[in-house]
Amino acid sequence: MNIILGVIGSDCHSVGNKILEAFFSENGFHVINLGVMVSQDEFIDAAIESDAKAILVSSLYGHGEIDCEGLRQKCIERGLEDIILYAGGNLVVGKSPLEAVERKFKALGFDRVFGPNVDLHEAADMLRADIAAKEAHA
Amino acid sequence: MPETAVLSIDIGSTYTKGGLFFVEDGRLRPGRRASFPTTTDDLRRGFAAVRAALAADEKASGAPVYFSSSARGGLKIAAIGLTPDLTLSIARMAACSAGGKIVRAFSYRLTEEEIAELETLAPDIVLFTGGTDGGSEKTNLHNARLLAASRLNAVILYAGNRKIRSEVLSLLADKEAVAADNIMPDVGVVAIEPARDVIRRIFLEKIVDGKGLADVVREVGTLPKPTPLAVYDLVGAIPAACPGWDDFAVIDMGGATTDFYSYTESFRGGDAVLLKGIREPVLKRTVEGDLGLRVSVEALWTSEKPWFEERLRIDGLDADGFAAYIRSVASRIEAMPATPIEESYDALLAGACVRAAARRHAGTSTRIYSPQGAFRVQKGKDLTRVGRLIGSGGYLSRLRDGRVLAQACADAVDTEERLLLPEKPLLYADAGYLFPLLGNLVAAFPEAAPRAAVAQLLKLESTR
Repeated sequence: MNIILGVIGSDCHSVGNKILEAFFSENGFHVINLGVMVSQDEFIDAAIESDAKAILVSSLYGHGEIDCEGLRQKCIERGLEDIILYAGGNLVVGKSPLEAVERKFKALGFDRVFGPNVDLHEAADMLRADIAAKEAHA
Repeated sequence: MPETAVLSIDIGSTYTKGGLFFVEDGRLRPGRRASFPTTTDDLRRGFAAVRAALAADEKASGAPVYFSSSARGGLKIAAIGLTPDLTLSIARMAACSAGGKIVRAFSYRLTEEEIAELETLAPDIVLFTGGTDGGSEKTNLHNARLLAASRLNAVILYAGNRKIRSEVLSLLADKEAVAADNIMPDVGVVAIEPARDVIRRIFLEKIVDGKGLADVVREVGTLPKPTPLAVYDLVGAIPAACPGWDDFAVIDMGGATTDFYSYTESFRGGDAVLLKGIREPVLKRTVEGDLGLRVSVEALWTSEKPWFEERLRIDGLDADGFAAYIRSVASRIEAMPATPIEESYDALLAGACVRAAARRHAGTSTRIYSPQGAFRVQKGKDLTRVGRLIGSGGYLSRLRDGRVLAQACADAVDTEERLLLPEKPLLYADAGYLFPLLGNLVAAFPEAAPRAAVAQLLKLESTR
């Protein structure tokens, strides 16, 4: 099961990215890790070529909202109508409650939104369930 | 009896050129040379004339013959990829490094219009790629169906998602279709060698088919190489055979095309530098079909006009005279400059080809400011460490100073966005114009051929 992983925008935080890669690989996913400073088009190119089921976008530096804006539309424009989009990390500057961040990113078209303290096993379970639901639907 | 001499012959699109080489103590010493206009209706005549002229040296009797051919202007390849920045850009690399010429490139789902265009272009090979192994399938299957229904006669080489290879090949059952391993098995992983090998084999079958080349093969007992591949193999053999030659480039400029070969690590890394996109190979060839001294000269004038106008002003040359010269040589491949003024016009044209070919071959480095500090993002290939630059081909091999070749080098400014061009390389001319001929001998003389090529280089004063 191919999934795309990367840190969006001009963000160079690489430690969490490596942890996510190792975790999802150990949990049965084929992770295509694009590393840090990944543009929207790089995420989409990789997802098209690999027929990935989901794009997992990380952002740690506070500019996540601006970097993620338009990603969903661009996916649709480029033929990825059914791709699952997750966002996680320190998505906005300051101490907004997770619910507010979640509302914001769901409005941008993300299917699920995670804060910095997410339980990765739970996230992996959700991802498996979301992918299964898409496949049943297709 | 140990062999004492070998012949190497290159059947070019205008001239068939040959050289005799003596084999002495594991070295190759250049001997007699010959050339004859290529007889395009039957390549045998020109070939035989050159061979006879070389064999006039008594030591050449019975010498084995190696040869290359760029007749028909090389192998025409149409490249199909899924996304422009991933599989399509790797497909271009594979086609160029196999000695081919890309006539057209397509991405995503092919349309009926594009199929019609392909039929008109009539390429020799369609390099059909897309998807990682286990990745995208739908677009390839769609494209395979359209290709199957087309009137194309090209060999279709499938080098995309391996999981659907047999399905694609069975869709293309009525076509001449072959397969190679995926050029991008995983996102960002470049694997062009298997496809390259198949393209080489197809080249041999295609090119040997017509114009008397099959008879040449029967006569001499060896198979030809595509000329660009001969140079490519020579460039690839130089580092192992010649100490100190680890980072260098060769520009081969002809009447119609300019080829740029680089041998250098693509990405140097470092703390604050990040590579984006494909990591390009250490040995890379690009071919520019719109850059040349004669056939493509009018396109060159149009695309590089601002640069030409500035140079004409600096050199105090007449712009109208230059435009008239361009019109007069565009249709005459063999035209030679007749006056010193025309010679400076040719130098200007050559400089423009060299400059544009280098700029298209090189990558870029852009400064990015992030909250964690300033970074540089590199795309494409870093040529800054290229320490030696060689000019080859009819015009560049005759250079006697470095002004034309210096156009390939970087201007000494560090800007926010800069091209990763060679900085201050030593400049050389392939003075004996031996690169294609010695390229034919690389397989038989893996060390002697590159050494002989380097030994005859003429070092040029690098004044700009």
